[in-house]
Amino acid sequence: MKFTRRHFLKTAAVAVGLPTFIPASALGRDGTVAPSNRIVLGAIGIGPRGREDLKAFLGQPDVQFVMIADVQETRREVVRVMVNRQYNNQDCLKTRDMYEVLGRPDIDAVLIATGDRWHALASMIAAKAGKDIYCEKPCSMTIRESQELADTINRYGRVFQAGTQRRNVDNFKFAAGLARSGKLGKIHTVHAGILTLQESHLWLPAEPEPTRDVVDWDRWLGPAPWRPFNKDYINGRWRGYFDFHGGAALPEWGAHTVDLCQWAASADGTTPVEFEAEGQTIHSRYANGVKLTMRLSGFKGEGNWVVPGTCPVRFEGDEGWVEAADTGKVAVSSPKLLEGGAPNPMAGTDPTKHVRDFLDCVKSRAKPAANADVTRRGHIVSHAASIGWRLGRKVQFDPVTESFVNDAEANRMCSRARRASWHA
Amino acid sequence: MIAFRTLIPAVLVLALAGCATLPPSPKSTTALTVLGSSADLHAKARACQELGFYGGPEAVPALAALLDKEYLADYARSGLEGIKDAAAGDALRRALPGLSGRYLSGVVNSLGVRRDVAAVPALQVLALDSKRGVADEAVASLGMIATRDAAQTLQQVLTGGSAELKTAAAHASLVAATTLTQAGQRDAARELLAAVIRATPVGALRKVAESQAAALQ
Repeated sequence: MKFTRRHFLKTAAVAVGLPTFIPASALGRDGTVAPSNRIVLGAIGIGPRGREDLKAFLGQPDVQFVMIADVQETRREVVRVMVNRQYNNQDCLKTRDMYEVLGRPDIDAVLIATGDRWHALASMIAAKAGKDIYCEKPCSMTIRESQELADTINRYGRVFQAGTQRRNVDNFKFAAGLARSGKLGKIHTVHAGILTLQESHLWLPAEPEPTRDVVDWDRWLGPAPWRPFNKDYINGRWRGYFDFHGGAALPEWGAHTVDLCQWAASADGTTPVEFEAEGQTIHSRYANGVKLTMRLSGFKGEGNWVVPGTCPVRFEGDEGWVEAADTGKVAVSSPKLLEGGAPNPMAGTDPTKHVRDFLDCVKSRAKPAANADVTRRGHIVSHAASIGWRLGRKVQFDPVTESFVNDAEANRMCSRARRASWHA
Repeated sequence: MIAFRTLIPAVLVLALAGCATLPPSPKSTTALTVLGSSADLHAKARACQELGFYGGPEAVPALAALLDKEYLADYARSGLEGIKDAAAGDALRRALPGLSGRYLSGVVNSLGVRRDVAAVPALQVLALDSKRGVADEAVASLGMIATRDAAQTLQQVLTGGSAELKTAAAHASLVAATTLTQAGQRDAARELLAAVIRATPVGALRKVAESQAAALQ
C-alpha cells in the first residue's frame, strides 16, 4: 500500500484517538489550506540565513513545518520556538540527526541551510530519501560536487531550488529580461560582482569540544576534513577557510551573480571556455565570444558599479546596458528601457518569491527558476574561475565534458575527498 | 662476459622509463619533507592536501602509511584520490586487508571515487561479507565503478542481500546503470535496472528504477 500523507494523517489519528470536534481550519474551510494539500516541511541546519528562508516558508499558507535537525542545540531551540510561536502550539520536533527528518515519510520537502560543506551531500541524501529540496547556496564545494548534485536530483526526479533567490527578485529579473529579449541589442559583456578571493588554510586554536547534545562537532564537520573544535567556526566564522568554503569564496556571491549572468547571456546550458585572473578580477569568455567579467563589489564599495548595493550585475549589449543590485534598483543606458515601468524595488536578499516558486513546483513537478541544471552550470563557472585564479594563469574549459582542456593540474582541483563515513 | 649489445634493449627501456616519469614537482618535494619530519598535525594535514594537487607516484608510500592514522587518514586519502598514477590505486587496494572501521570505509570510498576497476574483486568480497562492516560502502563503490563485473555483484546483493543492503545496492545500481548506458552497455544497464525493480518494494525507489528503465527502451 502506498504510504501517503493522507494515509499518515489517518493512521496517526487512529493511533491517538480521533478528536470529537474537527476544527474548520483542519479541513481548510476557514480560508486555510487543508492538511492534505499542505506541503509538510522539515529543515536541516538553520542559522541566521536559514531563518530568513524559514520565515518565508512559514508565511505560506500551504506549508506545515514539523521538524528541525541541527547539530547545535541553541539553533534547534531557536527554530522550535519560532515555529511553535507561528502555529501557536508545541508540535515542532527537534533533533541533531538529519536522518530523523529524512526518514519521516510524511515530510515532503526540506530546507537545507547548513554551511557550504554540507549543502550538496545533504541535498543528495535528501533526494535519495524522496524529498524535494530548497538548498542555500553555494550548493557545492567543487566542480565534481556540482555535477553529482545535479545528476542525483535528476535521477531521483526531485524538485530542487538553489537559494539563489535573485532569479525571483524583480529588479534582477527585469535586468535579465532586458538582456534576453534583445532590448540591449546583441549582448557582448556581462559582469558579476564577487567578494574578495581568499583561501585560508589556517586552523584556529583548539578549544574544549562541547558535548554532542550541545554541539555535535563530528556532524558539523560532516564531509569536511577533521580539525580541532573552535567556537568561531560554529558561530559562522567558517567562511574563508579552504576546507569549509569552496571556490576561494568566489561562489559565495558568484552563485548569485554569475548565475544571473549565465541567465542574461542565455548561457544556462553552457559555461565559458576560458578563464584568466588579473588580480581579483577574472575575465572569461564563452564560445560565442560573449565575455563574462567577475569583479569585486560590495561591502567596501569596490569596483565601478553604478547601482549601489551588494551582488551587483551588469549586462551590456551593442545597443544599451542595464545594471542591478541588492538595493532593488536598476540603472539603464536609456530611459526608453524603462518604458512600461521600472521594477518594484525589492531587497535582493528577500527569498519570498523564490520560496513560492519552489512550493508551486513541488505541487506541479515543474522545474523552478534555480533548478539543479542551471545551478550545476552556474556553480561550475564559479569553481572553474576560482581554479584559474588559484593557478594564476589562463585555463581553457570544455563546457561539454565540464573539464579543463589538456590541463591535468587544473583538473586535479575539480574534486575533494569526503571524510570517511560521510558519503552520499 | 656479457656483450654490451645484449644490454642495449634493457638500457633503452630504462631510458624510456626515465623519460616517461616526470620529476617530482617542488611542491610535492616540500610536502613530502613535511610528512617525513616531526611537523605538527596541521602541517602534515596540509601537506597531504598539497600532494593531492601536486604529488605524483613519489608521494604514494608516504600517504599510504597514514591510512590508519587517526586525524590524518582522511587527509592521506585526499592525497591519494588526487594522484592519478596507478600507484595510488595499488596502495589503496593493498591497504584493504589491514584496515577496519572508518579507515576501511574511507579507502573503499576512495577506490569508488577513483573508479578503480582493479579493485572490483576486493570490493565484491567486501560487499558480500557482513563481518567487515563496510558492505554498504563497497556496494556504493561498485556502483561508481560500474563495470559489468561490478554490476553482477550488485545484482547478487539485490537478490540475496539483507533488506538494508538491498536498498544500498538499488541506489548504487541506479548510478551504475547511468554509467553503463553512457558507455554504450545498454543491455547490462537494463539487466541491472530489472534486478532493482524485482528486488525493491513498490515505492519511490522502484519508481525511479522503472522510469530509468523506460528511458532505455
